[in-house]
Amino acid sequence: MDDYQTEEEESAFVVEESVEATIGRNTYQHNRVNQWSTSVVEQCLGQLGKLGKPFKYIVNCIIMQKNGAGLQTASACFWDNSTDGSCAVRWENKSMYCIVNVFGLAI
Amino acid sequence: MTGMEEYHNGNEGSFSSEEADAIVKECIESVIGGDDYNQNQVNKWTATIVERCLTQLVRQGKPYKYIVTCAVMQKTGAGLHSANSCYWDTAMDGSCTVRWENRTMYFVVSVFAVAIA
Repeated sequence: MDDYQTEEEESAFVVEESVEATIGRNTYQHNRVNQWSTSVVEQCLGQLGKLGKPFKYIVNCIIMQKNGAGLQTASACFWDNSTDGSCAVRWENKSMYCIVNVFGLAI
Repeated sequence: MTGMEEYHNGNEGSFSSEEADAIVKECIESVIGGDDYNQNQVNKWTATIVERCLTQLVRQGKPYKYIVTCAVMQKTGAGLHSANSCYWDTAMDGSCTVRWENRTMYFVVSVFAVAIA
């Protein structure tokens, strides 16, 4: 029923849903962030695994408090361009930013 | 045939977290060294670091696909948390994460190595 152009789009959708479900309504709290970032990656990985595609996945999540600091992220990949891909999802609410990167490598 | 040579030959095909760690630290130090956080340069630094790390890793000639990610954050007192989760073959694949800092910024560089079947 849900028709996505590419694997990347499907992954992005899965990630957005996972982030929203895990930290959607929360305010940045130093003692909970560790648990949140772990939940986000585990939830994303679980949902991606459920898609049943022949991929190995790497999910990376960064959560940063909003206080004016600058944050820059970059990634480089050595893989098979025809079968492997990635997607980056940037999410924010009033108190924090969340950046999730998903890398999918064909088996 | 010495014992040391045999040990190295045995490890040719597997991912060495210690080697990757050393490669990453060397790349960061050679690119950043003592520089302070600079918004105009940060883009170029992160790109250079990931590319340089990737090149050094590939040069090892092991049968792996690699992913290198780098996050740089200015030191202003903000909290930063990073987490990774991987769905792969735990016997063959591996990763290593390096945390590095200087006076004005934090770096978190992760290397993921996925074995080619």
